[in-house]
Amino acid sequence: MTWHDQTVFVTGATGFIGGRICERLVLAGTGQVRALVHSPHKAARIARLPIELVRGSLLDRESLRSALGSAKIVIHCGLGNARGIVRGTENLLTVAADAGVERFIHMSTAAVYGLTPPPGSETEDAPVRATGDNYCDNKGRAERVVARFGRQGMGTVILRPSIVYGPYSAWSTRLVHNLRQNIVALIDGGRGACNTVYVDNLIDAIFLAAANEAAAGGTFFVTDGEAITWGEFIQAHVAMLGRTDALPEISRTQVLAHYKQRPGLLRGSVTATAQALRSRQFRQLLMQIPLTQRVLSGAWDWLESLREDQREWVRSRLGVRRPATIEQAATPIPDEVDFATQTGSVFFRIDKARKILGYEPRVPFRQGTALVEQWMRHANYI
Amino acid sequence: MGEEIRLAILGCGAITAIGHLPAAAAHPGVRVLWLIDSDLARARSLARQFHLDCQVASDYKPVLPQVDALINALPNHLHAPVNLEALNAGVHVLCEKPLSTASADARACCELAEKKDVLLAVGMNRRFSAGQRLLPIALREGSLGDLLGYDWSYGGVFDWQSASGFYFSRAQAGGGALIDFAVHLLDSLIDWFGPVAHFDYQDDDWGSGIEANAILELQHSGEHGPVKGRVRVSRTYPLSNRLLIQGSKATAEIKSDDPDSVIIQRQAGQDKLSETLRLPDFPPTTTFYKQLDNFVESLHGRQKLISDGWQAVRVIELIEQCYAHRRRIPEPWSEYPLSEVALETEGARR
Repeated sequence: MTWHDQTVFVTGATGFIGGRICERLVLAGTGQVRALVHSPHKAARIARLPIELVRGSLLDRESLRSALGSAKIVIHCGLGNARGIVRGTENLLTVAADAGVERFIHMSTAAVYGLTPPPGSETEDAPVRATGDNYCDNKGRAERVVARFGRQGMGTVILRPSIVYGPYSAWSTRLVHNLRQNIVALIDGGRGACNTVYVDNLIDAIFLAAANEAAAGGTFFVTDGEAITWGEFIQAHVAMLGRTDALPEISRTQVLAHYKQRPGLLRGSVTATAQALRSRQFRQLLMQIPLTQRVLSGAWDWLESLREDQREWVRSRLGVRRPATIEQAATPIPDEVDFATQTGSVFFRIDKARKILGYEPRVPFRQGTALVEQWMRHANYI
Repeated sequence: MGEEIRLAILGCGAITAIGHLPAAAAHPGVRVLWLIDSDLARARSLARQFHLDCQVASDYKPVLPQVDALINALPNHLHAPVNLEALNAGVHVLCEKPLSTASADARACCELAEKKDVLLAVGMNRRFSAGQRLLPIALREGSLGDLLGYDWSYGGVFDWQSASGFYFSRAQAGGGALIDFAVHLLDSLIDWFGPVAHFDYQDDDWGSGIEANAILELQHSGEHGPVKGRVRVSRTYPLSNRLLIQGSKATAEIKSDDPDSVIIQRQAGQDKLSETLRLPDFPPTTTFYKQLDNFVESLHGRQKLISDGWQAVRVIELIEQCYAHRRRIPEPWSEYPLSEVALETEGARR
């Protein structure tokens, strides 16, 4: 009897990774799969599968208890909000411990070391410290909760992938969208470490973590094992679009200088609000709220009462000039998250996963991106 | 039956909240007497939201003798059995699509409606957009020339906030994107181009019976001769969301985000000409309101039903045939050779 003969419970099943896990479990002939569904309208992909969709929430232990049923293997990819990452994980572990779950595979992230992992975090034994980023720190806290249950006897395994890509991945769909909008630039020539892992490689690691006794209590980085840079990742998507033009480039120094010039919190918020108000749809929504309707009407009346030159002065102070006078930045500036994510230099090592799990990435980057391209064509993204 | 139709609405899910109830509350020819739902709190909440002085109940049976007509917006598997009861009691029915998940049951509804001399309308609200009125006019006038084919795609990332979530149960929904989305498209296509003589059907159901994607190649035989076309619907992918009909002289296009217009394009020498057809006097009411209005006016004998039960039977028969002869959409990104057995062996060896 292998673990595939048992019931497997999957959280985060309506997401990109969880959805593929469910598909792979079906392809592998797993006896019974129970998929936790928090938002049924997101379940179209997994509703195609001969698996059981069970309603529940990571923040509601009772719903988890009935959703888990008699499953002895849990693959936890669920996230939820910031609170859900830690509390949801703890709730699930508590319920799993009560139900005698034998193997609990926790989908963590290499981002426990921050969006820009510091040198020295190449291997799993590097200490996890607070990074100041909510998501990263909560994932770090969740790992500690998992480790606690592991010490108490549950067969827990923590997996730390980094940039998981594949069909349905927002990394690819968002990148293609942004490339079409011409708002992608290579930072420092795109030499940042990308640490890709093709989704099926990650799922190989998950299945090995379920099958392998020696995995219990372990924490493992999971990547494609290739030193893929952000430049290579982005260029692969440029090629999918059939483009041959060179992407704009920007240096770290230029980006940081741009961030420094940005207005402070208050002025930045006023400017951003004024810019958002230029959207007719957004204004229509706001006008449905009596209070904002009154404030906005008053503000417009006041603005209309001014002379044209005074109005232009107010607009310029708010950073909302007439479209014709907007200065187009020659090179797109990445946002803070993209900047932090794409400027790391650490390539995570997967020696431990190779040694203990028997993990060997089966889908090389070139094949993974070819599969993504096939899917994106079928799905009308390109 | 008086001038004011006494109406009950069965099922207080999303389609009632955003479609049927706003229409019924605004229509001067109907009075909503009952809202029926197993979740009484939801029924009460909707009544309050629309300022309706009506009663709520969880059982529709005692209500039937008190109303002239009902809107059946229950989950799909309850359409036919409840329709049959209502029709048998002499109550006129406007049933949300699909009329039934099985053509035999749909036919039974139509036959009973005829026997009891009551109306059976089917909620194909998209028939009531201006674009769908304009297109047959353009076809009749020969604006497109000989019809060469059509391509209709409709889909996006599914975001239907169903109250019950029944649509992911095969037993309750009867299927996935085909019976839910494509039913509208097939209804219109059969109306314009006649019955389907040949079809090829593919979907991406992996065994649950709830496909997220469906692709149909169709050939009609109707007044326009043999017309071929392709229909694609999706609950997971952002499709182009438009109908494009190719003719020898011109093309006609209806976009999902502007269903009240038809764009005709034709080549004139080196130039491409485009004209947008609209109905300038088309009322700005919703398609649900127009659908209800057609139902009410038909009850008074002043109009003919735009979408009746027999048309729905033809569509459901086609859907049944599609499911019976389905092929899987190839998904090489999902099914490429990944030997799970090899992986197991590899892992166990360590």
